[in-house]
Amino acid sequence: MRPALWGESLKLAASLVGRVATVAVVVGIVVLSSAMLVAARSGNTQVVAKLGPDGTPDWHGFLAAATQITAAGGLAGFAIVLAWMFGREFADGAVNGLFALPVSRRTIAAAKLLTFAAWGALVSAALPVVLGATGVALGLGTPGATELAGLARLTVLGLAGVVLATPVAWAATLGRSVLAGVGVGIGLIVVAQVSVLAGAGGWMPLAAPALWAMTAGRGATLGQVLLVLPFGAIWVALTLGAWRRLQVR
Amino acid sequence: MSAGLVASGVRRMFPAGGGVESADLAMRPGEIVALVGLNGAGKTTLMRLLLGMLRAESGRVELDGVPLERLPGSTWAAVGHLVDAPLVYPELTTRTALELNARLRGAGRGVVEAALQDFGLTEYAGRRIRALSLGNRQRVGLAAALQHRPQVIVLDEPTNGLDPAGVIALREQLLARRDDGAAVLVSSHHLDEVARTADRIVVLNAGRLIGELAPHSAGLESMFFEMLLRDDEVRA
Repeated sequence: MRPALWGESLKLAASLVGRVATVAVVVGIVVLSSAMLVAARSGNTQVVAKLGPDGTPDWHGFLAAATQITAAGGLAGFAIVLAWMFGREFADGAVNGLFALPVSRRTIAAAKLLTFAAWGALVSAALPVVLGATGVALGLGTPGATELAGLARLTVLGLAGVVLATPVAWAATLGRSVLAGVGVGIGLIVVAQVSVLAGAGGWMPLAAPALWAMTAGRGATLGQVLLVLPFGAIWVALTLGAWRRLQVR
Repeated sequence: MSAGLVASGVRRMFPAGGGVESADLAMRPGEIVALVGLNGAGKTTLMRLLLGMLRAESGRVELDGVPLERLPGSTWAAVGHLVDAPLVYPELTTRTALELNARLRGAGRGVVEAALQDFGLTEYAGRRIRALSLGNRQRVGLAAALQHRPQVIVLDEPTNGLDPAGVIALREQLLARRDDGAAVLVSSHHLDEVARTADRIVVLNAGRLIGELAPHSAGLESMFFEMLLRDDEVRA
């Protein structure tokens, strides 16, 4: 496992995809949330009306915007990276080189998933730190217990996004392309949004973390959020199985 | 010493056409076998079957006397291959790409410096793969396949993109590996190059191994085409 983990982490750290996605998820969410805050502060009644009841020029509005953006944008960022990690070798033919090695393809796939999870955890941990510092810098004052809890929920939401993106790995493998994975990633975001609108609520793993984070736990319980774990386990098992049975066509 | 890689009656045909209809092929230690055939004859498919990249519909492939499906993973450390594209990534440097290949094959990073020298890559060691020419990228792929001193070597069109110096470097490496007791299988379109290195030349036509040619015989090219023509006439 160690050679495969070393290789996967090296590739992700050296790649443009990894660097851009890290900046896009962390900095992108912070910039967009800050833009919402500036808009709320503008006092423009039309803009404030568009932002809705959570569009207040304070920590509440700032974190509400960040949570909404993370729910969709974070998942999109994770899906793109995972699609690239699992689809790239099919695109450039390097998949041939992953056969006839002492390290099995199942182990290589597991190393990809572990590397992705570690990167996703780092991004999810960095997001609230950068967001909190930005909030202070923008004059929102020192965050209290409520704000710190909101920032902590962002980390949980990010981690849930890492797990919810796992179908992308399976899709990129079966579709043998990065685009197949990205397509399924977009599908996951759409299904999550539609299921919230359709009232599926907390029992829909794709929607539960966002509902939980946006309502401070009133829209979904932590137990419902934890349903993402068996959801992810299924897709991880399917992905590892697909790599074990893999053939080069 | 390795008992080599042996295919017995392997078959894998594709719904859209092409593939390997039936093949018996033995790669023995201390021998370079050249696999020649026209485009689409099934050379790459046969190599993929030998390396477990494709599963045979029938027949079997054994490495050191053990069927591939029961082969312990560690046994693959004695195999080096380059089929289609090398296991190199554009964002890595040449040295790091070789180190990754060495680690994945259970070899220490100590083999990398020698490989850089053997394939004339020392000056490109710190350069990213994406910045290399096609020929130098092929050199990196060959170095990655051979640096861990494998006992079984399978190379598909290894001279693709190589300049004359690269062809000579490859030839020297293959002959040295053969003299060290490695079993080598190389596919090629270049009969003159094949004649310089191969101990045996096997001919594949439309998915079947149809015979052998003596590497040092005169008129190798015409003999090759006569063999194909005879086979096509028999099948017609």
